[in-house]
Amino acid sequence: MSSNCESTISRGYKAKRVIKEIYVYVILVLVVIVLSLLKGDLFQRGNFLFPANIANLLRMSVPILMISSAFTLIFISGNIDLSVGSTLSLTTVVHAILVLHGFSFIASLAIVVALGIVLGSINGFLVMKLRITPVIATLITMNAYQGLARYLVPPGISSITNTETLKMPEWMGFFAKGQVLMGLSWAFIAAIALLIALVILQRKTVFGKYIVAVGGNRTAAELSGINVVKVVWGVYILLGAVAALAGVVRGSYLLIGEPYTGTGAETEAIIACLLGGTAFSGGEGSVVKSFVGALIIVCLTFGLKSVIPEYWQMLAKGAVLVFAVVLNHLLSKEKLAA
Amino acid sequence: MIKNMLKPIDRSVSGKISNESYLNRVMFIVLIVLFGTASLTIDNYFSTGTALNLIANNWYIVILGIGVTYLLVSGHLDMSVGGIVAMAGVLSAYFCQPSNEGFTELGQGLGMPYGWAVLLTLACCLVIGALNALFIAKMRVASIIVTLGTMSIARGIAQVAALGAQRSAGLPNIFGVIGSVPLFGPIKIAAAVAAVLVVIALFVEKKTSFGRKTYLIGANREAARLSGVKVERHIALLYLLSSLLAGITGILLASEMKAGISSRGSGFEFSALVVTLLGGASIDGGVGSVLGMVIGAMILGVVSSAAYGLLLRPEWQFILKAIVTFLAIIAQRYLLDRRSR
Repeated sequence: MSSNCESTISRGYKAKRVIKEIYVYVILVLVVIVLSLLKGDLFQRGNFLFPANIANLLRMSVPILMISSAFTLIFISGNIDLSVGSTLSLTTVVHAILVLHGFSFIASLAIVVALGIVLGSINGFLVMKLRITPVIATLITMNAYQGLARYLVPPGISSITNTETLKMPEWMGFFAKGQVLMGLSWAFIAAIALLIALVILQRKTVFGKYIVAVGGNRTAAELSGINVVKVVWGVYILLGAVAALAGVVRGSYLLIGEPYTGTGAETEAIIACLLGGTAFSGGEGSVVKSFVGALIIVCLTFGLKSVIPEYWQMLAKGAVLVFAVVLNHLLSKEKLAA
Repeated sequence: MIKNMLKPIDRSVSGKISNESYLNRVMFIVLIVLFGTASLTIDNYFSTGTALNLIANNWYIVILGIGVTYLLVSGHLDMSVGGIVAMAGVLSAYFCQPSNEGFTELGQGLGMPYGWAVLLTLACCLVIGALNALFIAKMRVASIIVTLGTMSIARGIAQVAALGAQRSAGLPNIFGVIGSVPLFGPIKIAAAVAAVLVVIALFVEKKTSFGRKTYLIGANREAARLSGVKVERHIALLYLLSSLLAGITGILLASEMKAGISSRGSGFEFSALVVTLLGGASIDGGVGSVLGMVIGAMILGVVSSAAYGLLLRPEWQFILKAIVTFLAIIAQRYLLDRRSR
C-alpha cells in the first residue's frame, strides 16, 4: 500500500520535473508556430518564418539575449539588478560619443566594457559593502545612470548622432548588422559565445558553484568559508560588463546614441529568467533556459508588431510577466517569501 | 499623576524619544537647512510663493506615498502606482467622453456621468490592486517582480485605451473641476484632498489596530501571524489601498490637465519610494511613518525646485533624486547606529 503511494508521488514528481525541464522550449515552439500562422504563407515574404525576417530578428535582439543570459546569474545569487537597462542606455551613448570622436572599434569597446565594469562594481559596492537592499540600491543607480546617459547628450537634441563637423564612420553598423554567417552578425555570434562562456562558468567553475551556494543559503555559504561579498560583487561586475557589451551592440545597431534605448530592459530580462524557470529566491536556474526565455520575448515583441499596433506592447509584456510568474510558481517546489 | 499623563507616549523608559520621532526631527532640520541654503544661493527663492508651490507641485507624490509607506512598513514594495496613475487618468476620461458625437476613435467614450466614471475607474484600479494582492499575499511571490508586471499591465491598459496617445476631446466641464479650481494661490482642491488623506492616514497609522498591525507584520511576520493577525488578508488590504490611492491620484491629475494622458506618471513609483525612504522607512520593514514621508516629499520638492532655480538641466532631476536617496539611506543608518550605541 505504502509502496504504491510512494510510486504515485515519485511519478507525479518526475512528471513535474520533466515538464520543468522542457516547458520553456515548448513555449518557444508554440509561440513560433502561432506567429507563423498569423500572417502570410509559410516561409514566404511577410510571414514570421521568412528567413530574412528571422535573421533580422536575431540581429536586432542581441542585447536582450546577452543581458538575459547574464541576469540569470544575479537571480541565482538571490539578488536583483534593476539598473541593467540604464547601464545599456549609458554605454550605448558613451560608445556613440567615442566612435563619433574617432576612436577605433576595439578602443571604444575596451573603454565601454571598462565603464560597464565600473558601473557594475558600484552596484556591488552599494549592495554588498554598504548593505543597501538590492532593489533599492539598483533603483538608485538605475536613475543615476539614466540621468547620466541623458546628460551626456547635448541639450536640444535627442540622441548622439552625426553633426556638421563629426560623422559616424562607415564601420559603425558592421558589428551588429553586417551579415557574416547565414545572415547573422558578429554580434549574434558574440552572444552565442557569451552564452557558452556563461554555461561553462556556471557548470564547470568554482565561481559558478559558489553563486548557487550563496543563492541557496547565504548563511550556510558564509559558514562554509565562501567569501559571499566577493562572489556577489563579482556577479554584479560581470552583469555590468555584459550590459556594456550589449550597449556597444545596440549602438552599432541603431547607429546613434539613444539615451532611452535601455528602458524596460530589466523587465525583459526578469521575464526571460522567470520563463526560463529561474527561482526568484535564488539558488536555481539555467543560463540556457533564460536565453530561450529571451528568444520567446523577442519573438513576441517583434512578431506581434506586424499584427497589432505598437501600443499593445506594454500590456502584452505585463501579461507575459504575470503568466511567467504563475508558471514559475506552479512549477517550483517551495513557496517563497515576499 | 497629571505630569505622567502629559508625558508624550513615545518617550521610552530611558527618557529618549523613539527612533521614528528622532529621524523625523532630523529630517525636518535637514528640510529647513536645505530650504535655507536654497534661499541664500538663489535669488527670489525665499517667498511664500515658493513655499506654496512646494505643496502645489508635490501633493500627488504625497498621496501615492501613503500607500507606498504602509506597504514598505509591512516589508513590501509597490512599483505599480505609476502605471495605475496613467490608467486611472485615461479610463476616467474614456468613461465620461460622449458616446455618440466624437468624430475620431479617440473622441468616443462611454458617455457616463462623472460620478459613475470615477467610481468605475476606482473599481478598475482595485482590480490591479487585487492582482498584486493575489500574487504577493496569497502566492507569496517577490513583490518587486509582481508589481513590475502589474505596472506594465496598468500602463498597457492606459496605452491601449488611449491608442498610445491621450484622451481629451469632448470631456464635460465637470471633469476639470476638482483638479483645477484654485483654493488659495497656486493650491488647488486636489492638494486639499491630499491633505485630508494625509490626516486620515496619520490617524490610521498611529491610533488604529490596522496601523499597528502593519508595523507588527513588517517587524516580524511570523510573530504577527502567531499573535493572531491575519497576515495575508492584511497585506492584501494594503495593496488594495495603495492601488485605490494611486487611482485617486490619477483621476485628480487627469482632472488638472483635463486630459487622460497614457504616458502620465512614469517614474512616479520611484518618486513615491524615494520620499518614503527619505522619511526614514526601511525596506526591511517595521519602520517608517506617513509624517516622515510628507517631510521627505518636501525635501525632494526643495531639491528639485532648487535645481530648477539653479538652471540645472532637467536631466539632473534623475541624478539628484538618486544622490538624495543614497545620502538619506546612509545618513539615517549612521544616525541610528550611533544612537543605539
